[in-house]
Amino acid sequence: MYNLVMKDLKLGVHPMFFVFPFLIGALMLIPGWIYFIVPLYFCWITIPNMFSNYRSQNDLLFTTMMPVTKKDMVRARVTVIVMLELLHIVIAMIYGVIMLWLFPNVNYYFFAPHMGFWGLCFVMLAIYNIIFFTMYYKTAYKHGQAAITSITVAMLFAGVIQWIGIQNSFVSNLFNGSGAHNVGLQTSILIAGIVIFIAFTLAACQMAYKRFLKVEI
Amino acid sequence: MLALDIRHLNKKYPTFELRDVSFQLEKGYIMGFIGANGAGKTTTIKSILNMLHLDSGEVHILGKNIAEHEIELKQEIGYAFGDIDFYTRSKMKKLTDVIKKFYTNWDDEIYYNYLRRFKLDENKKIVELSTGMKVKYSLALALSHGAKLLILDEPTSGLDPVARDDLLDIFQDLVVDGEISILFSTHITSDLEKCADFITFIENGQIIHSSEKDDFIASYRLLNGSESQLNQVKEQLISYKVNSFGFTGLVRSQDYDPSSGISATMPSLEEIMIYFAKKEDMYV
Repeated sequence: MYNLVMKDLKLGVHPMFFVFPFLIGALMLIPGWIYFIVPLYFCWITIPNMFSNYRSQNDLLFTTMMPVTKKDMVRARVTVIVMLELLHIVIAMIYGVIMLWLFPNVNYYFFAPHMGFWGLCFVMLAIYNIIFFTMYYKTAYKHGQAAITSITVAMLFAGVIQWIGIQNSFVSNLFNGSGAHNVGLQTSILIAGIVIFIAFTLAACQMAYKRFLKVEI
Repeated sequence: MLALDIRHLNKKYPTFELRDVSFQLEKGYIMGFIGANGAGKTTTIKSILNMLHLDSGEVHILGKNIAEHEIELKQEIGYAFGDIDFYTRSKMKKLTDVIKKFYTNWDDEIYYNYLRRFKLDENKKIVELSTGMKVKYSLALALSHGAKLLILDEPTSGLDPVARDDLLDIFQDLVVDGEISILFSTHITSDLEKCADFITFIENGQIIHSSEKDDFIASYRLLNGSESQLNQVKEQLISYKVNSFGFTGLVRSQDYDPSSGISATMPSLEEIMIYFAKKEDMYV
């Protein structure tokens, strides 16, 4: 499993995708923007590029020839994606803190990047993961449809929750109003988001593995 | 001991079927696996490597069932695909560094010896290697992790005659000690005439014949005769071609009657392949 993760990091993932979080994360510095877009860039750019690289380099056959189990193949791939997702979110969070410090008096129409908002981002990625991995591992090489479906649903989630955040005064207050400064509340939302992310990703791994077992290479 | 024991493989696809494929390869020998394009060579090889879900049948490698001991056996299998490349933009050095971590018996010394012997520069990218060099690189990898069974899918296709001959010499050197066995699929039959000990011939998803090379060739005769003689033996022929001089047809040796006066010669592997393929066409 460790060797497979290292294989992906050394061969499968272009170094550019490790630089990306730092570049895209800088978008957090735009005051009052729709910050949901920042983690979505990962889904829009990194995932499709990485998976088309895997396909064009015959990664599936290459990996299958190695003495590894199908379970480890799925687990390693999910681990690599989760590592990149965490890298994106953590760096965006840091940029978010810098933005809050630089521009303390912004009037937010969309969610401000407090901890609660990042909890929502984790939920968005959780939804993305469960759809993408389970669809992708039906064939283990067709990533297009899996990416489009998972991105659409993740964006719908972000759109709907953002719309509620604007329309509903309770939710608005929770993320942008007085609730934003309630550390206990914000931390709880973040932790709940992380728990959902972990649960969905583990479920994705399990379902993906079951589907991958049926794949003929 | 059998390096490879394939028993009654069956696998049905919508347009193609592998039917009761069975053959055995003794340890320390080279087996050529021949058949036309689409005859089922690659499907069989994929079944050997446990990449497909078989409808029925078993594959035993070095005495163990691949379905039950896949991880353990893959440590002992080396492979080369003549027409598929992996991570072509990476340098050999980088690729090797990744690959060697997967194998418990990896030996760097053996690896560098083979690189020298095959004149491979590990700082070259895969894309910069010629087809022959790619196969040699795959062999170097396989031998460095102590592979006992080499499965080579069309390793000589696309090579020039010099590179092919060179590769065939290497194959023969490898099996000399009796430790390594090679199964290699090809449709270039002259390669097998040079170096194979056994021949397995697959046609339309079925094994037509699997035996020692000389027995394989000896079990067929190529008949040449006039058109009137054709009617005499038509029923026994596997297939035949008619031309202005008469006919040429392939027959099983046991069906050939020397007293018939029809001249018979030993066919080449290629001729056997062609006449069997023609037989399929005749019944379509």
